[in-house]
Amino acid sequence: MIPIGDSRLIGYYGFPRRCLIAGVREDLGPDLELVDLDIDHGAPDSGLLPVTTCRIISNIMNNAILLKDRLEVIIAAVGEGKCDRGRNISFLLKGMGLSVIESRFCEEEWEDRELVFSTGMGTLAGRIDRIMASVTDPSISSDQPPKCLPTHGFWGVPPNDYRILDLFPPTTHLYGWIRCVEAGRPSDMALESFVDKQVPTVFFTQSFCAKQDLAHYLAEKYGGIAVDCHREINDSILAKVEAFIALS
Amino acid sequence: MLLGDCGSTWTKMLDTGTGRYEIIQTREMVRRTDIFFDIATGHSARKRCDLFRNELISLAQGALSLVETDDFSIIDVGGRDVKFVEFEKRKVKRLDWNLACGSSTGATIELLGSYYEVDFTDLDPSERWINVTCGVFGMEKVLEHVSTGTGAEEAVAMFLHGMVRNVYDFAGRPPVIYLSGGFCENNCFLKTFDSYCNVIPLGRMVPLEGLRSEERLSGNNV
Repeated sequence: MIPIGDSRLIGYYGFPRRCLIAGVREDLGPDLELVDLDIDHGAPDSGLLPVTTCRIISNIMNNAILLKDRLEVIIAAVGEGKCDRGRNISFLLKGMGLSVIESRFCEEEWEDRELVFSTGMGTLAGRIDRIMASVTDPSISSDQPPKCLPTHGFWGVPPNDYRILDLFPPTTHLYGWIRCVEAGRPSDMALESFVDKQVPTVFFTQSFCAKQDLAHYLAEKYGGIAVDCHREINDSILAKVEAFIALS
Repeated sequence: MLLGDCGSTWTKMLDTGTGRYEIIQTREMVRRTDIFFDIATGHSARKRCDLFRNELISLAQGALSLVETDDFSIIDVGGRDVKFVEFEKRKVKRLDWNLACGSSTGATIELLGSYYEVDFTDLDPSERWINVTCGVFGMEKVLEHVSTGTGAEEAVAMFLHGMVRNVYDFAGRPPVIYLSGGFCENNCFLKTFDSYCNVIPLGRMVPLEGLRSEERLSGNNV
């Protein structure tokens, strides 16, 4: 959520290096709130990007424009842990006069954190939120969900529209970039492309996202389904996922 | 008990009491307030029934009730989408549902056939094909072919051929495939498909059979 009022903010997108986040907070003061610009906060469409832009990238631009006067700085993941469009958006935002610090999460900084929420039991939305919160707060959670064997899998990034997550049983494991974030290795291709072979998995991407290449390949390889959607989920996509879960 | 499969262009109905099948256009079904289903599937059915069933699940159950083979694939080419299920030992091995570019399917063919007054019963297959990236791009190619001298019937057959290639690829290029939906009645489509693999048409009632088999299993003895 975006804090109400006119307080100064630190924006970020993707999974920036932890040392950059810590450094900015130290420089600007710990009271400045961090805002994840990837998320749809209801900002109006900036109209600055093609309509065939991944919704997450559009969210970044829309949020940045909306919050332009409040953002002290944007910490922008522009390396392999994000995508080329993340890098392009950084370039565009800098050109608009925003202060942007680019982050390239290097292999030497990969962590090996325990996959508590990816392999735990509970609602997908709740577990994904906990994982994404770990980008800015990596402290170990005290209320960890119980481990479970996976009955289903959800691979990908946090969707723009969370309604798709409601279809999955609590015994669904999380894979893909979400798992990479929990592990602290956002650009680890081996981990991102890992799934449990026997687990029926939905490979989710936003439409027009480069991760569609991976999703289609992995869905074909492991007998899952690739699902993409632009902006909001529609009934047809929900029906497709519902059928896959019921029949697998 | 009235069962319904309400697609975006055609609605298939089965009265299990009389055993009577009926097919009407969905636009007519929407207008008629006297039609209400006990159990229904299909995009337009959600608010017209007591019990709604997922289309892909109905297709899978219908296929299992109609096909005795252990390992087989079925594909339903509808007005706006394509559904696919592959079975291994009568368990679902793979499934998919092409939703995003449904304009490349039945509805577009009906538009083209109507516009050029093509009778698909007599239409000869074409060895040539056009790239049906989506229905709109495919239609543009048909118009271009016609404007540069290709006969309208040949151009439509080329569009059909492009569709067949898409459907065949979508199903993973199996040697044999069972076909569900309105294209079971399109001779040109069937002949074109036969040049790629052995296609066995099951007709337009497969999802309805799925609903009926579900009712049998639940003990209602429909």
